[in-house]
Amino acid sequence: MSFIEVSNITKSFRVSRRSAGIPGMLANMVRPKFEERKAVKDVSFSIEKGEMVGFIGPNGAGKSTTIKMLAGILCPDKGSIVVNGYVPYRQRKAYVAGIGVVFGQKSQLQWDLPVIDSFELLKAIYRIPEEKYRKNLDRFLDMLDMGSFVNQPVRQLSLGQRMRADIVAALLHSPQIVFFDEPTIGVDVLGKETIREFIRELNAQDEVTMLFTTHDMQDIEKTCKRLIIIDKGAKMYDGTLQEIREKYGTSRQLVVEFGEEAVVPPMENVVITDIEDRKKSFVFDNAKVNINELMSHLLSRYNIRDLTVTEPEIESIIQRMYNGEV
Amino acid sequence: MRVKNDTMHLAGVYTKMIFRSWFQYKVDAILRSLAVFCREATGILVIYFTLTKFDNLNGWNIYELLFLFSLLFVTYGILIIFFTGLRDFGGTVRNGGFDRYILRPRGLLFQLIFSNADWFAAVGHGGLGILLFLLSAGKVGVVWNGITIGYYIVTIIGGVLIQGAVFLFLATLNIYLLETNSIKELFYWNARKFAGYPISIFHKAIQFVMIYVVPFAFINYFPAQFLLRKEDMAQYPEVYMYLTPFVGVGMYLLAYLFWRKSIKHYKSSGN
Repeated sequence: MSFIEVSNITKSFRVSRRSAGIPGMLANMVRPKFEERKAVKDVSFSIEKGEMVGFIGPNGAGKSTTIKMLAGILCPDKGSIVVNGYVPYRQRKAYVAGIGVVFGQKSQLQWDLPVIDSFELLKAIYRIPEEKYRKNLDRFLDMLDMGSFVNQPVRQLSLGQRMRADIVAALLHSPQIVFFDEPTIGVDVLGKETIREFIRELNAQDEVTMLFTTHDMQDIEKTCKRLIIIDKGAKMYDGTLQEIREKYGTSRQLVVEFGEEAVVPPMENVVITDIEDRKKSFVFDNAKVNINELMSHLLSRYNIRDLTVTEPEIESIIQRMYNGEV
Repeated sequence: MRVKNDTMHLAGVYTKMIFRSWFQYKVDAILRSLAVFCREATGILVIYFTLTKFDNLNGWNIYELLFLFSLLFVTYGILIIFFTGLRDFGGTVRNGGFDRYILRPRGLLFQLIFSNADWFAAVGHGGLGILLFLLSAGKVGVVWNGITIGYYIVTIIGGVLIQGAVFLFLATLNIYLLETNSIKELFYWNARKFAGYPISIFHKAIQFVMIYVVPFAFINYFPAQFLLRKEDMAQYPEVYMYLTPFVGVGMYLLAYLFWRKSIKHYKSSGN
């Protein structure tokens, strides 16, 4: 039995469906119509203790719903979840005492009070002994460089500062498992780097098991070895980043800057897109198209100023997975 | 015993937080108590001046009416300390705040109650209630002894529970409907408007609602009858004067069971 064991979970919501306009509204009041929308479809995975797993997918893919089920806020319609021996949605109090959850979009801090006051409240809520509280607080404040603003009211903080404070708030009680739901959303580059560094260190030093969702592939590349991709509620991929690169990384992108306006007719196995006025991108599979032939074909027909070949970013691979191309 | 102390401690920390939050805006905090007091007192003054033109209302003189009002305000003052979180529960569900309560290892109702207590509005409502009580208690012919004082205290507790049960019930409805303000307006606030007066002056249908649907009559009218013994009590069963604590505890238990059941529903249907 793994530390986190998710087996065949399915979750659907009833969304009210009504026709437009006032007649539709009235009809809806008399006899509401509901539509089943499947948010998560038959998803299974298991995570070992101390693992750090990135959970990605486009908006509405079912990431947050899955996190909510893992955290015990929602229960699955079908399937089962066991985390650290607990069933999250049944043994609420015992279970949540050992987990931490960060919702990047929803702060748990007291808006009008200094950050430290929210921490004191959490100390009482989680019954954290004084000594442990001091130790954790000092360590996290230092790691996240928060000394300068811990006594400022939350409403005066920048988004990056607030996010760091929210992360500490979720960790004061030394949870064994932490769920991060978009912990870097809206944070600037430097702030993101601080947060990633912190997450990496915490995982390495304390063996905290972590699962986090993000839209920023940099987050994943810099923190997680393992990646779970879901789309339209179903799991599409579960493995390492390395494997993705090896398996799907044979595509290449050729960026060509033309000396004048150029019209390039469609080519077999090559996706052509305009970047700028005189700049086009040619994406193709290295195994199917000979790059030398493609280049000499272009050079012989057009006035070309510049040429660059790049390997695909992990982001574009995932983009293609969402589009069902790979 | 340790568990109890620990819970009291957390309740204390929550209360401290609320006061510190409010005192970030000191003037507003004080004005808030004052504004609530004045808003409610104005309503009372209008009734007072109207009544000086009539002499009595179905046998109730002005002091007896003020006594009736005082019960309403004293219970609401206490209620609002404990049940603001439930009154505003709809917003908490909609903005995801309720999910955060679920993620903390404490009782859900406990967290809702103590993290939202509105002490300043309580001072406004409760202060008016006490003032009305002081103005009227000596002039309504009640002999204040052990029995009447004991009866009064039990009545206050019962009255708080009755309204608390209504709040808890309406809060629970939010889990199904997401928006219940208009239902609250319809049942709670409208019923409360009638509750300031002896219910015997109203149409039978309204009386029925006030006794059996949203039983405000048990918060002030029937208990006041025990103390004042007005003639219009003859049209109701005498036992109603003794039912307030039972109605309060019974309603609260029912609302609590509904709440428990609905939390399960929230987890299976939430958004």
